Amino acid sequence: MRVDVQGLTVRYGSVTAVDDMSFSLSGNKIYGLLGRNGSGKTSLMSVLAGYRKPAGSVELDGVPVFENAAAMRQVCLVRHTPDAADKGDKVSYVLEYGAAWRETWDNDYALELAELFKLSLKAKAGELSLGQRSALGVVIGLASRSPLTMFDESHLGMDTPTRYAFYDALLNDFMAHPRTIIVSTHLIEELASLLEEVVIIDGGRLVLQEEADVLRSRGTEVTGNAADVDEFTAGLTVLSEKSLGRTKATMVYGTLDDARLIRARQLGLELGPIALQDLFVHLTATVGGVR
Amino acid sequence: MKIFRHLTTTLVTFCAIVAAVVFAFAVVVTFVVSAFSDIEISAWNVVASQIARWFLFWVGIYVIHNVLPIAVAHGRTRREFLVAASGFSVVLAVAMSVLARLGFLAEGGIYALMDWHADEHGTPLAYFLMFLVWCVAGMFCAAAFDRFGAAGVFSVPVGLASVIITTVRIPGSGNLPFIGNIPSLLGEGWHVASVAAFLVVLAGTWAVVRDMPVRVRTS
Repeated sequence: MRVDVQGLTVRYGSVTAVDDMSFSLSGNKIYGLLGRNGSGKTSLMSVLAGYRKPAGSVELDGVPVFENAAAMRQVCLVRHTPDAADKGDKVSYVLEYGAAWRETWDNDYALELAELFKLSLKAKAGELSLGQRSALGVVIGLASRSPLTMFDESHLGMDTPTRYAFYDALLNDFMAHPRTIIVSTHLIEELASLLEEVVIIDGGRLVLQEEADVLRSRGTEVTGNAADVDEFTAGLTVLSEKSLGRTKATMVYGTLDDARLIRARQLGLELGPIALQDLFVHLTATVGGVR
Repeated sequence: MKIFRHLTTTLVTFCAIVAAVVFAFAVVVTFVVSAFSDIEISAWNVVASQIARWFLFWVGIYVIHNVLPIAVAHGRTRREFLVAASGFSVVLAVAMSVLARLGFLAEGGIYALMDWHADEHGTPLAYFLMFLVWCVAGMFCAAAFDRFGAAGVFSVPVGLASVIITTVRIPGSGNLPFIGNIPSLLGEGWHVASVAAFLVVLAGTWAVVRDMPVRVRTS
């Protein structure tokens, strides 16, 4: 499912959560929506899901989503606390809602996931732990098989094995049923291998939209003799530096041209990739005006 | 249609079960009271004219505050939900007024057997309109508070005015605090005012909900 956002603004009183944002997602990929706390991720996804009326244009496959029955049927947004469940409802009842109201719902898969995440069907949603509530949200999101499925911090409270089970289930289901999936997370490195494309926002504005591999190629870790590293990185954007004795490792941002690569070889420096998370920190810190 | 079916099958069934339990409780209470004094009022009328309307008011709140966000989260539009909820309010009011009538019939049999005396109660139409307006008034107030927060308090006078109108033709309905007995001025023609009240609060509910943001739950 294609997503087109044009001139989107979301305000809460005097606070602007999303500020004149425009971007397009071609669809059928797993997208990472990355941003710091308060960057506007949840507001953006709320508008994409038709939870609130947009100021600007939000279209799914070319049609507006807000109060458009055909478009809204195609969307599912889940957070760590499932919006599609009432606290007093038993898990079995929550799944029945999905089966009753969603044409694309796969109930066998929902029950399979509930077993995977060890969710008791008799337990009430409000009595589940935070991690279990997150797992219930994941069950709803994956079993909905919605052409646009969004997970907003859906891993919160999950222990590590459960998070990995979520990532595996997400990838396996995406492979079996390709669709547009947007994942918002602060655990960037855990999910980095799943993400095909990354959208970074900060302060309600779009910072960057890039293929994940292309973005990774923009950062390099330079390791070697401290003096050589300093000479090599002079004039480059340095993200961080670490020293151990005479050895120094410096992370730089920006594509290295052929002359630089030849110079690195001459100096005997090691060049390696850097983590997506480090790039994210750099990009949002600069734009956010923290540094 | 799915929302309407869901609301009617779950909530009407739930309300019917609650009504049956409350009826049994009212009968037990009546027998207990008869041991100490003469029975001169209908216990079921106390339930039907006073308690039931607040229960219907709560159902209206529940429908908007709890079920609407779930419907939107499952990809349903507010318009679809409002159509379903409007129809549901009528079906629920019909069901509850039928249950009220059945309760009066059953209670009448018991009272006749025991030679007890019951006071006057309203017509099925009066109960239907009272239940209908109280339910929709609950929806209206819930929508206003959900959308405007504390400013939703301005919906209360409108809701209050609409529900008071419906109690005029219900004997015994004015015995609770807050709402006093109101003289019946227009006879059966007063029901027209109840219908108007229903249309006003229903239109208000639509106006508030139509593009209401659904708050993302945070706890």
